[in-house]
Amino acid sequence: MTTAVGTIAQPLRSGLGSAFGVILILLAWDLAARATAGSFVLAAPAEVLNWLVANRGLMGRALAETLANAAAGFVIGNLAAILLAVVALAWPRAERAVMNLALLIFCLPLVATGPILRVLLGPGDGPQIWLAALAVYYTTLVPLMVGLRAAPASWLDLVRIYGRGRWTEIVRVRARAALPYLFAGLQIAAPAAFLGAMVGEFTGAERGMGVLTVRFIRAMDVPAIWALACVAALVSILVFAAIGWLARFVLDEKPPVIIAPAQAVGALGVTARMLRTLTLAVLALALWWAVIQIAQLNPFFAKGPDDVARALLSAPDAAETRARLGTALVETAVYVVPGWAAGLGLGAAIAIVLILFPPIAAVAMPVAVALRAIPIVTTAPLIVLVLGRGAVGTISLVAVMVFFPSLVACLHGLRQAPGQIMDVFDSYAAGPVSRLIHVRIPAMLPAFFASARMSVPAAILAVTVVEWLATGRGIGSLMALSASLSEYDMLWSAIMATAVLAVLFHAGVSALERVVLARTAPEQVG
Amino acid sequence: MRRLSHLTRRQMLAVGAAASTLPLAMRPRMAAAQTPVSLQLSWLHSVQFAGSYIAQDRGLWRDAGLDVSLLQGGPNAPVEPPVVAGTALVGISAADYTTAAVAEGAPFKIIGVAMQKNPFAIASLPANPVNAPADLAGKRIGMALANTPVLQALCSLNDVDIDAIKVIPTQYSAQPLVAGEVDCLLCWETDLPVAMTIQGVENQTMLMADHGYAVHSQTYIATEDSLANRRAELVALMAGEVAGWQAYRDDTDAAAELTMAMFPDAGLDLPTQKLQAERQVPLMFSDLTDANGFGWWTDETVAANIETLALLGREVTPDLWDRSILEEVHGA
Repeated sequence: MTTAVGTIAQPLRSGLGSAFGVILILLAWDLAARATAGSFVLAAPAEVLNWLVANRGLMGRALAETLANAAAGFVIGNLAAILLAVVALAWPRAERAVMNLALLIFCLPLVATGPILRVLLGPGDGPQIWLAALAVYYTTLVPLMVGLRAAPASWLDLVRIYGRGRWTEIVRVRARAALPYLFAGLQIAAPAAFLGAMVGEFTGAERGMGVLTVRFIRAMDVPAIWALACVAALVSILVFAAIGWLARFVLDEKPPVIIAPAQAVGALGVTARMLRTLTLAVLALALWWAVIQIAQLNPFFAKGPDDVARALLSAPDAAETRARLGTALVETAVYVVPGWAAGLGLGAAIAIVLILFPPIAAVAMPVAVALRAIPIVTTAPLIVLVLGRGAVGTISLVAVMVFFPSLVACLHGLRQAPGQIMDVFDSYAAGPVSRLIHVRIPAMLPAFFASARMSVPAAILAVTVVEWLATGRGIGSLMALSASLSEYDMLWSAIMATAVLAVLFHAGVSALERVVLARTAPEQVG
Repeated sequence: MRRLSHLTRRQMLAVGAAASTLPLAMRPRMAAAQTPVSLQLSWLHSVQFAGSYIAQDRGLWRDAGLDVSLLQGGPNAPVEPPVVAGTALVGISAADYTTAAVAEGAPFKIIGVAMQKNPFAIASLPANPVNAPADLAGKRIGMALANTPVLQALCSLNDVDIDAIKVIPTQYSAQPLVAGEVDCLLCWETDLPVAMTIQGVENQTMLMADHGYAVHSQTYIATEDSLANRRAELVALMAGEVAGWQAYRDDTDAAAELTMAMFPDAGLDLPTQKLQAERQVPLMFSDLTDANGFGWWTDETVAANIETLALLGREVTPDLWDRSILEEVHGA
């Protein structure tokens, strides 16, 4: 195994690597700023620093506000995820319903939920905190569920032999097995919470970094825009690193070998599946209706399932509504699917490169976190300038949003290679590539698929925000337009259609996952 | 500012309890029956709403028995829902958005018109100027696709073939114009052009209102229910607005400075606020308002609005406008 010298030298080396990485980034940044001077896109590092020094009070207050809301949302969202995971595991019958409803709610686009939350919660911090919580709970829930299952069958058998119940199993075995996955989830959640809080501020918050972003973009105050982006990125990197440090501090065991009996796939018949889908649909519609009734939302903007059905099926202009919605959905899908696939592939590829050449991580990880953490509101103009307003620009923005969760999850999955098996490979002096192919990649697959699934809503979130703020096309733009023209039938129809499509897309990925994991990680297929 | 005026019910009770232990003469004026009402703004705080800030700052509403909260808008904060729901007594909208909301069943009336002239403008650079609608032919225009009906209306008003204009979707920034990605922008007279000027980019604008585009903007809307049952509050609120905007006109620089002082966390800068304050004066004040007072309209201006709104695909009748509150304010 690694020698003591290696353990001591590592932090030093990675520190040097990081410093080198930062210098490299600053140089590239400065060059890019010089190249684009006069086009009001990028400010040089020195300009940004000057702005920050001159406006430290303003920035400090905005940061405190947004950070507090993001932190509150982070805590609430992650606690909700843990609670949901425990519920799903303690009552296996409820698991599918819990997971599917959780997914459905996560698929509701922020563009549309923001104003509704504002009306519901009134002035203050409510929508910011809620949107931050909504942005994180699902990306924690998914890896957590994977982790809670990543326990060797023999450990579970042991619990049963001692006659202990499901609760002991969760607390003593599964919670422990889930910890590494929980930390990966928390790392993904950190920048997402920040972005959620910022988008929440667009609904009429008094202060915060989201408010300043809108203001500075309009004012073409480029140093200020990039100062905001840098602060947002820096904070996210620090939180990310802090969670990573905590994880290393807490997790001192090597991952166990998970030997689980293979299970039959597709045991459920077509009728059973149909029945399950139908139950979920009824449950979702009932929940939708109940929320409107309980909160006593005004029918002018709160449309129930019956209103949407009328607007899409029986209203005089139903055909036109369907056509507009359909056109917008197609425009969006054309960008979402390639962007999602590209981001996912990129994340996995970078993770593999980082495992093969660990020193690169010191440079690459901060860049990766920063890319995800810089609000897409500020990066969008730059990417659009470089890649154009067409397909390439939008697809790249989606890929940027997706690749980070994929990278974190895959990296973590690659590291979950069981210690005993790695020891066997050590004793045979196997090279890094054969370890990668035979041990690490199979160990990575559950995390990879988890990120593929949870990236579906993330991709849709990204594309709707880009459409709304930069390109003015597709479903994101249609939703923003409907809200401004009081076409709430259209808005709710668009929300519903987006959520349903996201769930179907997700179901497709799940089906593929079950087939693959039944071979490589049967403990995950329940 | 807001923090004081926006006490929760619990805090109000606590204040009330504390006040009741004081001798009668020492009780603060706030304890007198102040009716809390909210005014929903249509965008982020800026000098765009400075008349309201002056009314707040000078206690014009407090003296009339109103405790007014100014609710900030934003890119994802539609004005109509809080007004329909009653969270806000009055909202700042525009005739086209109000008409759209009414078509969807919102019971709105326009009770005041802050911007007599619509602020939509075509901004361009002097080297490649748009001085008249005819110049648009063959140009690339950057705008939110959502505003396509606006461009269409301008084209039909001035016999310009819209197919001769290349629309490039842009949002929220003048950067595409400065970078040469587009030849002109469809924007507000008071936002992106001001930003360019402050950044040292020489630019020019063609106000659409000068070429037949007549749509009242920054209009005050209230529900029919409020007009029937909360008249006194509406009159008091609008009286404060009228007085506040009059004071604004007298000294726009002071209005800009007040805005800066009231919202230190909004990221505003004084030169921008001063220039914006100056540039919105000709949009808000005219011979009509000189003769009749701030916020006024006539049957003729409404008729012109209805014509332009028809070009935008909006059918509307003159009874959308209800002048009774303004008439009470101006004592007509």
